[in-house]
Amino acid sequence: MSTGIDEYLHNVKSSLRLEAPDEAEVIRELATHIEDEVKELKGTGLRDDEAVSACIRLLGSAKSVGRKIYEAHSQGTWQQALLTSLPHLLFALLFILNWWRGLTAVLILLIGIMSTAVYGWWHRKSGWLFPWIGYSLLPVIIAGLSLIYLPTGLTWIAFIVYIPLTLWLILRVITQTIKKDWLYLSLMLLPMPAIIGWFVAADWQGNFNAEAEARLYYDAPWIGVSFLALAFGVVTFVRIRRRWLKISVLFMSGAIALTFISSYARGRLDFIVLLLLILFLVSIFLVPALLENGVKTGRWGKYFEHRPMS
Amino acid sequence: MSERHELIKSNIDSLLLCLISGQPMYGYQIIKELKDRSRGYFSFKEGTLYPALHRLEKSGLIEGKWQALPSGQQRKYYYITEKGYASLALQRSSWREFLNAMNLIIRPEEVRDSI
Repeated sequence: MSTGIDEYLHNVKSSLRLEAPDEAEVIRELATHIEDEVKELKGTGLRDDEAVSACIRLLGSAKSVGRKIYEAHSQGTWQQALLTSLPHLLFALLFILNWWRGLTAVLILLIGIMSTAVYGWWHRKSGWLFPWIGYSLLPVIIAGLSLIYLPTGLTWIAFIVYIPLTLWLILRVITQTIKKDWLYLSLMLLPMPAIIGWFVAADWQGNFNAEAEARLYYDAPWIGVSFLALAFGVVTFVRIRRRWLKISVLFMSGAIALTFISSYARGRLDFIVLLLLILFLVSIFLVPALLENGVKTGRWGKYFEHRPMS
Repeated sequence: MSERHELIKSNIDSLLLCLISGQPMYGYQIIKELKDRSRGYFSFKEGTLYPALHRLEKSGLIEGKWQALPSGQQRKYYYITEKGYASLALQRSSWREFLNAMNLIIRPEEVRDSI
């Protein structure tokens, strides 16, 4: 195939951001269109390169074609919207109904979320999966932090085994997710600023004392509402087609959650912490987008990639 | 964007459903057919056809299947579904009503003569 055609199809592909089989089918279909068109144009007396240029001109901008095909595929069903937002809804219920005080409810929820995330990861890595992975990272990080409190002699386990293994796992998840679409990483990390914000507001100081628990108890309905805001944002994200709107909706839901924190934890979060949380929220959208090129061209992805994305 | 492009854009779904209801077709064939049947009126950036086809396919109005041409080359043929036929019937009826209403305003004499 000529370089011009390859470049055109590559540009379409870079704007598609679909599941691998769908992406392959779209490219195959466009390639057959180009094949027919070029053949016909050559029949009118054009040279190879002229026929390819004319064909590409007739097709229109590769980026625009890719973006419009993405929009045709990007609208999820209501079931997908519900499934994608379910971990946010479950966390909202955990706080609104004050189930967070019972260890059993928290454990059931975390195990359920982690099992779903592992199942989804090894099956199709569909779009609904990423918020589930986001919440699954929480116990992994908390377990890592709690290793600090191991008896001194056992701290080496954290440094030799747990930390490198966890970092490798997280980096692998991040690179594979970005390879699929950087926006999925934003979707995955969306609850983090809110979780950290409420955590700091509850005055976490290494040990969860009675005072912090009491604050959490009074904040619980608002914590629940902030997770509901995220759930609503995610439902809208799945249902709309345009990519810039999807990004805006996710960002807005994260910003609304932070607004809840700053309103209801007044006096417990200073300006610097709030500013850092806002910066974290912005970086959740900015960093994956910036990393995408490096990961997709294989500069960083090759270190963590062992098998092609299904 | 020209008025013609706006008209095509807003009616592309009906045009595609109508063409495909006649016989299953693949993308390039649809472009040629639209151009030929409309005597060149429906010519547009060909790349815009595929988003429309994929949107209709996602909505369940058409279904794409890879099939071999007599030459052995594979092409993705689009078939209209039952849901597509129902949607086309609705679109045809609203188009007829719209056309009648337009004629009553734009060409009242001709409509009066035909009654």
